[in-house]
Amino acid sequence: MTHIRIDNARVIDPTNVFDDNRTLYICDGKLTDHCGDDAQIIDATGLIACPGFIDLYARLREPGFSRKGTIESESRSALKAGFTTVFCAPDTEPVVDSTSTVELIRQKAAIANGARVVPIAALTAGLGGKRLSELATLYRAGCLIAGHADVALDDTGVLLSAMEYASSFDIPIMIRPIDPAIAGNGCAHAGSIATRLGLPSIPVAAETVALARLIELCKSTPHCRLHLSRLSSARAIELVRNAKALGLPITADVGIHHLFFTHEQIDGFDANFHSAVPFRTLEDRDALRAGVRDGTIDSICSDHAPHDKDAKLAPFPSSAPGLSAFDAFAPLLLGLPELLNMSLIDVISKVTSGPARVVAPHQALIETNSELLNTDHYSLDIGANADLVLIDPHAAQHCRRLA
Amino acid sequence: MNKSDPQFNQFNKLHHFLSIDGLDKATLTNILDTAEGFTSVNDKSIKNVPLLRGKTVANLFFENSTRTRTAFELAAKRLSADILNIDLVSSSTKKGESLLDTLRVLEALQSDMFVVRHSDSGAANFIARHVSPTINIINGGDGQHAHPTQAMLDMFTIRRYKGSFDNLVVVIIGDIRHSRVARSGIGALVTLGVAQIRVVGPQTLMPADVESLGVVVYQDVNKALADADVVMGLRLQNERMTSATIPSTGEFFQVYGLTPERMKLAKPNAIVMHPGPTNRGVEIAASVADGKQSVILQQVTFGIAVRMAVMSIIMGHGEQVREAEANPA
Repeated sequence: MTHIRIDNARVIDPTNVFDDNRTLYICDGKLTDHCGDDAQIIDATGLIACPGFIDLYARLREPGFSRKGTIESESRSALKAGFTTVFCAPDTEPVVDSTSTVELIRQKAAIANGARVVPIAALTAGLGGKRLSELATLYRAGCLIAGHADVALDDTGVLLSAMEYASSFDIPIMIRPIDPAIAGNGCAHAGSIATRLGLPSIPVAAETVALARLIELCKSTPHCRLHLSRLSSARAIELVRNAKALGLPITADVGIHHLFFTHEQIDGFDANFHSAVPFRTLEDRDALRAGVRDGTIDSICSDHAPHDKDAKLAPFPSSAPGLSAFDAFAPLLLGLPELLNMSLIDVISKVTSGPARVVAPHQALIETNSELLNTDHYSLDIGANADLVLIDPHAAQHCRRLA
Repeated sequence: MNKSDPQFNQFNKLHHFLSIDGLDKATLTNILDTAEGFTSVNDKSIKNVPLLRGKTVANLFFENSTRTRTAFELAAKRLSADILNIDLVSSSTKKGESLLDTLRVLEALQSDMFVVRHSDSGAANFIARHVSPTINIINGGDGQHAHPTQAMLDMFTIRRYKGSFDNLVVVIIGDIRHSRVARSGIGALVTLGVAQIRVVGPQTLMPADVESLGVVVYQDVNKALADADVVMGLRLQNERMTSATIPSTGEFFQVYGLTPERMKLAKPNAIVMHPGPTNRGVEIAASVADGKQSVILQQVTFGIAVRMAVMSIIMGHGEQVREAEANPA
């Protein structure tokens, strides 16, 4: 029997729109309304207590790329960053398209004892874009969402079919809109910086054309829960805002770095800012921020992409895309209320109740699989799982460059 | 990452020649003035000076080139350097991981200067950042980014024929999007202060936000050529002709080709330039390429003096670093 009492924390619970000081009691992993006298007491004066962060998109690299990161290293680093749940990308080797791979990931995660790891199912077998994965089976095995990583799904017929099939089981699907024919071999936003540096570039239309197609497909599959992953442009925000206004079952997220960086960062060929989802202009970044503020964006993900040192030691176009994101995530997130003129509770909702709603599994699944994350009502209610984090908003944050 | 300009060493001297970006007018003018001095060397019967005697220059060509490589080779020889040609096109050094390994091996050959050509934009900057500080790097063309010695020989040619850069209208025709020659040329023209730079070509061959480079975009080649002092053609790469960027070379020539009729719209004393090799009947009519206003072959000749100038300037600045490394305080 483990009893914990947390005193004096500022409790932020977006699901219940609660932001006030409250004592929290935890007994055997559940939130309760009292504790025995033998409870361990944590004085949380000056700290924030909120539901554990949920990350809808991170690469843990295992299986297949453990030189870049392992489930153990990344899930532990996620937990330190405040994430109690991480959805891991399916573009591993093998791809997450079979229950054996799901099982492997879950076992490794259980041993690691870091953040809870939920694999994202590959929407098509081998991410090949031709044959559907066994989505119903993968869903039962614990993949709460299916997606296509950074691999474009350019066959519209297969995409429609995937959406229809997933909707039969109420499985949400996650797509990063990208038209590969327009993106080509681009590695940076098509704008003044890429033009000056002579970098092959990715126009905004590569994102918005694919996005418009998805929105139209969504109209014809009204029961498909479509989640748009890692948007990058002002025009994309406008399209999603309009689609949501029509009442389509669409949700969307943005990577945390895209709320801070622009294409200016790649000047001087800085490969550290080479990202699969390109950093665009200041106007785009500000539109993404506005989208977070007005609810067009439901969730902020890490888009975590750990790499080995060699991956970035190449000329910009040949360097590996992606930024490591866990370590700086919480400080960046806590900077958002001031930058976006939002309340802290609204910002925290983007990493708690927001993503929880995106992936909320239907009740039948929860009943048959108790280990699963119950995101249906993700809160600090009495009786809920004690899935929460304590944050010191005043802790000094230092980022240091690794040699 | 240190975002300071990697072209300058700890003594704030031009140590590598990677890009026109970040270089001021005085630096460019100094290169042109130094090159003037070398043209007389090239006109003599004994065509070398001992400035780089005992120095080794390695040509590292990760991408095919005959003309540029030969021009650098000749420039190095006329400065009395030893020259090493290393063909890296066929070797398996296309990936970044092995590029660093390759560099370490080449460093061990104890060259003083690398001339680098690579298909990745930013490759020369990357190499400059990771190579031993005792080695000077010259960018011989990196992807679609820069070809700064070509730009300087173009500027040299313009100055020779026009006297100065003030009040000049320069027209650049063709594939701006994929051209490192155009990017470096535009950069140099902006810094040297010409009156106007006009670019002409179909939208498929224009990079995004091209105006941000400091140019005016024209769709109509006839309007662009009006009162032009300098007309620069660009080579249309073969791969553009087989993709969707232009329908046919015939249509390209129809709409944008530099013909004798069109040249009449420019100033009577306008010069015609081209980095070569030309596609006759695609971007330029044979009669214009070979005509009186053409300075295409002079560009090639001036290229030797300009490369000698760049090599001697940065090698001189490198000496300071090499001495400091050899005799640490």
